[in-house]
Amino acid sequence: MNHDSYPEIKPGKKTLKRIYIAVMLLIVGRAIQAACRTDSTVKKEFQNFKDGFAFSLGVHPFGPWMIVGRDEKGRAKYLGWKPEGKKISLKMNIKNVEAAMLVFTFMESTSVAFARNRFVVDGDLIDALAIVRVLDLVEVYLLPKLIAGLAVKRYPKWSELSPVKKHLGRIVIYTRALLGF
Amino acid sequence: MFLPDYYEFCARVKTVAGHRALDRIPELLSSLGSSRPMIVTDRGVVGAGLIKLVNAAMKGSKAKIGALYDETPPDSEYTVVNSVAKLYRAKKCDSILAVGGGSVMDTAKGVNILASLGGSNIQDYEGAGAVRRKLKPLIAIPTTSGTGSEVTLVAVIADHKRKVKIPFTSYFLLPDIALLDSRMTKTLPPFLTAPTAMDALTHACEAYYCLAKNPLSDATAIAAIRLISANLLKVIKKPGDLQGRLDLANGAILAGMAFSNSMVGIVHNLGHATGGVCGVPHGVCMSLFLPYGLEYNLHKRAGEIGELLFPLAGPEVYAATPVKQRPEKTIEYIRGMNQDLHDATGGRHARFLKEIVDRDGRQLVPVEKLPEIARTAQGDGTKVYNPEDVSYDDALMVLEHAYEGKPLDRKRIKKG
Repeated sequence: MNHDSYPEIKPGKKTLKRIYIAVMLLIVGRAIQAACRTDSTVKKEFQNFKDGFAFSLGVHPFGPWMIVGRDEKGRAKYLGWKPEGKKISLKMNIKNVEAAMLVFTFMESTSVAFARNRFVVDGDLIDALAIVRVLDLVEVYLLPKLIAGLAVKRYPKWSELSPVKKHLGRIVIYTRALLGF
Repeated sequence: MFLPDYYEFCARVKTVAGHRALDRIPELLSSLGSSRPMIVTDRGVVGAGLIKLVNAAMKGSKAKIGALYDETPPDSEYTVVNSVAKLYRAKKCDSILAVGGGSVMDTAKGVNILASLGGSNIQDYEGAGAVRRKLKPLIAIPTTSGTGSEVTLVAVIADHKRKVKIPFTSYFLLPDIALLDSRMTKTLPPFLTAPTAMDALTHACEAYYCLAKNPLSDATAIAAIRLISANLLKVIKKPGDLQGRLDLANGAILAGMAFSNSMVGIVHNLGHATGGVCGVPHGVCMSLFLPYGLEYNLHKRAGEIGELLFPLAGPEVYAATPVKQRPEKTIEYIRGMNQDLHDATGGRHARFLKEIVDRDGRQLVPVEKLPEIARTAQGDGTKVYNPEDVSYDDALMVLEHAYEGKPLDRKRIKKG
């Protein structure tokens, strides 16, 4: 038997998709930090986490990731994209790049992605649900209603988030996310 | 038929069901390479003489019971799981026979995680998919027809300090074998048969409208509803009806297969929180919240809820009801079931929160606890799988209606 007739096949890297997801994670990570300083609901969620809380959101097994933690003042802090050397209390991994693309192109909401078993959650489920609420709210701020409506289960009514608050918040969050403070 | 773009379904538990299915235990243990199982059960099961039936089935077998733990509390709990795992190791057991209801099954699953993967604190394995390796053999022998835990990938374990119930989910939590023997549920009194079977009915109904529903979970859910609806009142009126008992047990296992794959929503969300905060038995919460869950999701799942009328009420009622009226008729039918069970159990089957009392007649859910229950529900994972979002305000609104036993004010449901 000629073993050369049976070549090894190396898996592709899907580099472009990984770059897209990495950029999205960077924006979302920095937007969470910004939203925590702008929106009282996000702020409250982070204040409820324990001291030293940090979570990662990314793609199994090679990334990319984003890491966001709670600082000593109880605010969200974007901690970069490398999980190595960081104490992470909650790891939320999407099982593969294709599933992550569905989530980050808003073809699948976070809830539907959970329902379709696309996530592995390692850590306290109560914290994970709080993060899902934060992500939903950040998406409402970052995205136009047409797209955000696909990403979240129920787009907030006027009584819950007024258009003025939403648009002002959007400007502030985008500015802070771009400038990184 | 509803076909999602993508779904997963896994029901790989070998099921052995029959009027004398227990007799198979020695052979089943041997097939799993086990010779020293630990029995995890509770006092009620022992008191009902059911462990004697298991021991009798073991006679003449090479396998020995390594340890009998019979102090499982009504709600499986972290500290109990940790200490039973210690016992398992000390007695050098090699498998688990879980004989009991949901709490026993979930405790056994928790013990199996620690016994198989090591560690001394089950909290280290919290989360979805945190258990990633095959566990020791586990044979589940239900003594109620409700939980479905004998075929599910979930273990719900309470943390009394935080007053929450935490679900552990992993395909490795599926037991190896589910063993249904009609004798094991025969002695369950009507006031317990009613809420446990309504728990199973809730699993099937929620499986049919929640986010991960799929053709296979639909098929098992419909079959489950038909069996439960046709047999529940019959068994309540005649508890010794072994065929009715076996039919209910089959209904519960089918419902378990359904919800293990499509998950559950607001009814379980509020039920877990009510159980965690006020110590209300799970099945009781399920019975009374089920009609509210259907009402809450009606604007998103009217078609599916209408279809439930067929297995619930039978072909004649279904055919005689115009399509538009079927969803409302389904809700009305389930409220009617709760009323019938209330009457048949001499008022012991609660229809709304205000009616739930403990053994001393004290109200278990005071109205001032509703905000705490609503807050706790926000940390329960089942909320993710509900078709409509459930915020704190939504949860509180449903709880207030369920407290009084009033149908939901549909105008107050926020529609996404």
